[in-house]
Amino acid sequence: MWFLLPAYAVLLLFFFVPTAFNFIYAFTDWSSFKAAINPVGLDNFTQLASDGTLFRALRITVLYAVLVAIFQNLFGFGLAVLLERDTVVNRIARTFFLIPVLMSALAVGYIFQALLKPSGAVDQLFGIHYAWLADTHWTIVVVALIHAWKWMGLSMLIYLAGLKTIPEDITEAARIDGASRWRSFWRIRVPMLAPAVTFNVATALLGSMNGFDIVQATTGGGPARTTEILNIFIYRTFGQGLFAQATTMSLVLFLLVALMAFPVIYVLRKREAIL
Amino acid sequence: MKRVISVAVAALLLTASAACSDPGSTTTTDNSATTWADPTAKLDGVKLTIWAAQNSNTVPQKVIDGFQKATGATVQVVTIPDPYEQGVQTKVATGDKPDLAFWQPTASMLTAINAKTNLQPLTGAPWLDKMDPKLKDLTGLLGDTRYAALITSPAVEGVYYNKQVFAANGITSTPKNFDDMVTLARQLKAKGVTPFYEMGADRWATQWWVQVQLADAAKAGLWDRINTGKEKFTDPTVLGAITRYQSLIKEGLFNSDIKTAKFEDQGAALLNGKTAMVVQVNSFFGQLQAKADTATLNQKIGFFPISPTGNIGTSIPDQSNALVAFKTGDAKREAAARQLLAYWMGPGYQDFITDRNTVSLETAVPNPSGVPQALLDVHAAVGSSVGSMQSLAVANPDLYINLADMIAGTMDPQQVAKATQDQFAQLAKAAGAAGF
Repeated sequence: MWFLLPAYAVLLLFFFVPTAFNFIYAFTDWSSFKAAINPVGLDNFTQLASDGTLFRALRITVLYAVLVAIFQNLFGFGLAVLLERDTVVNRIARTFFLIPVLMSALAVGYIFQALLKPSGAVDQLFGIHYAWLADTHWTIVVVALIHAWKWMGLSMLIYLAGLKTIPEDITEAARIDGASRWRSFWRIRVPMLAPAVTFNVATALLGSMNGFDIVQATTGGGPARTTEILNIFIYRTFGQGLFAQATTMSLVLFLLVALMAFPVIYVLRKREAIL
Repeated sequence: MKRVISVAVAALLLTASAACSDPGSTTTTDNSATTWADPTAKLDGVKLTIWAAQNSNTVPQKVIDGFQKATGATVQVVTIPDPYEQGVQTKVATGDKPDLAFWQPTASMLTAINAKTNLQPLTGAPWLDKMDPKLKDLTGLLGDTRYAALITSPAVEGVYYNKQVFAANGITSTPKNFDDMVTLARQLKAKGVTPFYEMGADRWATQWWVQVQLADAAKAGLWDRINTGKEKFTDPTVLGAITRYQSLIKEGLFNSDIKTAKFEDQGAALLNGKTAMVVQVNSFFGQLQAKADTATLNQKIGFFPISPTGNIGTSIPDQSNALVAFKTGDAKREAAARQLLAYWMGPGYQDFITDRNTVSLETAVPNPSGVPQALLDVHAAVGSSVGSMQSLAVANPDLYINLADMIAGTMDPQQVAKATQDQFAQLAKAAGAAGF
């Protein structure tokens, strides 16, 4: 038992205590403006609720997370199927698609910002003039695509692992029974990927709820705050010196992620029951 | 066994919670008068740290070299990454303090760093008598206490214009007031010139357009009324300025790519004559200096202040213009930090402004010969200028973000005013201002 103590101490100090303080400070008036920290009850929550900004940021955060989850899994799944066979070309291609995962998210963001600026490289390639990162309706989709592009290699890897673990004899049995390749792919192999889907959807969805870096580097929340996800809002509020309000928002985000995580994971796990 | 673990856990929790309590809660009361040592007194073995931003970290180099040689102290500059103010506030909130830091010396930003608790008062500083009397009390004060030392000429919001574009279109004198400027802009537009250039994508300069329109009102105490809740951003004065700004944009007096243009584009546009005028502050001229030499700038770029009734500039000292000294709890280092400021503004000042090629604030110290004319014009506007929102309001709301949203088309002037007022009230309340 004693050998567990250091691990628990670390967990306590760096996880439980900060989390507890995240709850406590949300009910105070902690700010950079004065030295004392006084309890204020639910003031921060009522103030946030009365101001439309929080709900707008929450709506954008959820939309962003759903878009990222969809794109990242579509790309990852497509790549995994395309690159499933162990040829030399495929091995090299897999490595290349994994590189963005290892890159700094800020670097990715700045590179895309440069590519997508009006009359930047992408516009010149297509011979158009379009401000990809300044459209109040579609920029959130563009940023979600960039986020998905960065992380698709990881989804690919997990889908590949899933595809590799499907026993050869099951597909062989289907073929002997006369199933077409198309049919055996959709009816046998895809359902067998359920655990990989669970992991990929849950991590992409809940991970991008906590997103910050890519959005900050590409749009900084603009244009007109249409890509201002909650973490960017928190960052701005914290920068104003309103530490307690920022803490309150991060508590709201924590609760939202927790509230979404349980049903999402429950539903996805249910799909695995057939295995 | 179980009991031992639970005791250990409880002990850990206690120490952890003690470690996380507010580091700023020990308020020191400062009753003793501030003392000032001789600027070149020996300080062997004393180590000082200055926090600076990416655009100010080379500013003190010459001063530090001189100070180290004269006193034997060691001075280190630590660069805090951008956004600088947020970085500093976060560090100070966790109890991390330098001896000195570059800081915007305005009331709102001194409040934001909790000057009363964290900063040393600079009462009776030896350089004050040497300063140009018009600049002495321009900024750096919170209430009646001085917390910041102004080292270079503070930034002024005003109009940078392209002299060649003006000349080519037969304009011989600069506008005498805001309406004059708009009339002139319409004439330029009729001749096919883009009169104004704004950077909607980088956002921060949008607020200058509203602030210069408020210069006269600010002189008449607008910000005092807003600070006490007697007037709001949603009332006619501020709302009117926002609405006017929008109507000028809608009239087509600005660049057509106003929504996507950035700071860089703005500098390039004015320098190559794509536009006639830009409402900006000194850092904009800094960008021009990076693109062209002094001779070219003197030939091409001019500056005039503007306000509704005349040529009143709106001053907005920024982070690179001033320093603050922190209360670190180490009396020796605190005194050394004050001594460094006294050296900077005393024996080291001539070397400093020569090295920076900038305008002198002290009557006995002449300007270096290579200062560009536009900077001299900006400096000339400082004396008669009025304070900006950042200088005079108790809080600094994100007016510029709301204005950029208005340019992008998602907010109307009423919404801009309301969102700014709401945030102002929230910040004023946190700062403990009466009436919020």
